Amino acid sequence: MPLPSRGGSPANRCLLSLSGMNVISCARLTKRFGGTVAVSELDLEVGRGQVYGFLGPNGAGKTTTIRMLLGLIGPTSGQIRLLGRPMPDPQAVRLTGSMIEEPAFYPWLTGSQNLQVSTWSGGARGGREVSRVLNATGLSEVADRKVRTYSQGMRQRLGLAVAMLGRPPLMIIDEPTNGLDPPGIREIRGLLGELASDGTTVFMSSHLLAEVEQVCDRVAVIVRGRLVEEGPPARLGTARRRVRVRVAETDAESAFRLLSRWALQAGSRTRDGEFVVEHDSGRDVNAALAAGGVIAESVTVELPRLEDRFMEIVGEDAHAVAAGG
Amino acid sequence: MPWLLAAELRKIVRPLVWGTALAIVAFCLLITWGAAHNAHAGLASPRIPDVCARAATAQCRQVIAHSHAAARAAALATSKLTQPGEVGQVAAGMLASLPGLLLISMIAGGHWGGEWGSRTIRQLLCREGRRGRVLLAKWLSTWIAGVATLAACYLVLAVAAPLIAASAGLPAAHSGLFAGLGSSVADAGRAAVVLGLFAAVGTAAGTIGRGQLATMAITAGSMLLALLVAGIASIGRLSPASFVQAWMGFGPVGYLPTNFWSRFISSGQNLGQLAGLIGIAATAAVAVGIARWRFAADVTA
Repeated sequence: MPLPSRGGSPANRCLLSLSGMNVISCARLTKRFGGTVAVSELDLEVGRGQVYGFLGPNGAGKTTTIRMLLGLIGPTSGQIRLLGRPMPDPQAVRLTGSMIEEPAFYPWLTGSQNLQVSTWSGGARGGREVSRVLNATGLSEVADRKVRTYSQGMRQRLGLAVAMLGRPPLMIIDEPTNGLDPPGIREIRGLLGELASDGTTVFMSSHLLAEVEQVCDRVAVIVRGRLVEEGPPARLGTARRRVRVRVAETDAESAFRLLSRWALQAGSRTRDGEFVVEHDSGRDVNAALAAGGVIAESVTVELPRLEDRFMEIVGEDAHAVAAGG
Repeated sequence: MPWLLAAELRKIVRPLVWGTALAIVAFCLLITWGAAHNAHAGLASPRIPDVCARAATAQCRQVIAHSHAAARAAALATSKLTQPGEVGQVAAGMLASLPGLLLISMIAGGHWGGEWGSRTIRQLLCREGRRGRVLLAKWLSTWIAGVATLAACYLVLAVAAPLIAASAGLPAAHSGLFAGLGSSVADAGRAAVVLGLFAAVGTAAGTIGRGQLATMAITAGSMLLALLVAGIASIGRLSPASFVQAWMGFGPVGYLPTNFWSRFISSGQNLGQLAGLIGIAATAAVAVGIARWRFAADVTA
């Protein structure tokens, strides 16, 4: 199947989108550095149009995986298919927008010139495309400033702008919101949403789990080079929904007795009349209390945050949860 | 490939390269200025043996006349070499010897090794994954920067050298303005080949050093080592420095040096020009092989 060129015609792009293939596919991907196994037997499938989160503690093998996907380092064993093409394939890499860790630029050039150089390096003329990505990332006003004067947030946006050049069908980005302030993070979140709605597949690693939870369709968790969980963020791990119940202090003992059939979480306080029950349904809990003659002051169902589930999954590696890896 | 080369040329226009190129041009001007004044000083007071300075024998008169004639010939040769047509030989010789090597080392370090140091290499390879093309673009852009410096050096010397010679009081060369232009162009063409070799060594050094300083050091160090080896009688003929010497036809220099190379090769290595060219091509081929082999490895910057 012919691949579209960067900024290719809509017909070409359509050809790609109709194929229904996995945009990223890794089979038994392994990378060893001497005696150290950085990535082990990793299987990944990323479908077209997905926003896919790639999580793991420091040193888990996320960046190594991303480098292998982009052909910067070769796998010790296993296969990678990028945009349907077996890697290494320079053309598939050229059609992939990417940003790895902290983006790097030529400090003696302006933001606009850096984008121009990146466009030319990819074999395209640029011009309007440079203006488009500058607008999309909110950098138009500082486009003519030397990059060495940019703040970290501006550099991060410029990194994303480079990745967006040529409207790639796939973007692989490492920590896209690093160094951004809350409004910046919100903008980038919106930008990623727009890209996904345009059919762009986004594969991103991030340590901002709340962001990942809001943006990603699917999430993979890698620990010590091995894939340990994969699926939609809401179904990750075994952590269940919780029901937070508040009753009058006088009913606390009765409520405790009635609720003890469910697992009561640490932090439940009989004295204050507040209990946290691991259960999916607030209705069940409320009904049980009512049947025992206890009327709840409030019953709230809480979804466990991705962060809680992530910490549960990575277990002993949890102390290392942070950026990078 | 043309767009990739355009990107590389856009990147190479940077303070480091400007500064080094300007320093090379300034060095050529200083050398010319010093040579012109030395030649004038030699003309004003030729070297006469002490014994003849006090005695007025027929033999001494002959020695003194000979010294005056030699000083005048040297001054005339210097004056001739500062003419616009001829001075290209100085520019070509400088760029095909140590000053050119220094220039290419600096460019290779900043332009190529710096891609690793600043970690822009990964962005570059994500835009153009064909590593052979990246190497070719790096080599070409480095070579173009070297040739552009050679052209700039020649142009500046063509304007400034006659003025320097006149201000130093050297005798007029009585040659046409553009006499010797053919020799200058031929030397410049040969120097362009040598700059190509230096650029190939610099490109290979970048893939080995993977950093700005390491690339500079490996580029300059490897050729300086070749220069040392060239002085060893038994193996000197096989040194890349001997190939450069033979190809450029570097020989003894007068007041105005036309190279900074031959004086470091103590023993004469009598290679022909064609052998020099073949040696340069073989050395460049080895450098390309090393570059391709090293650049195929993982890029972890």
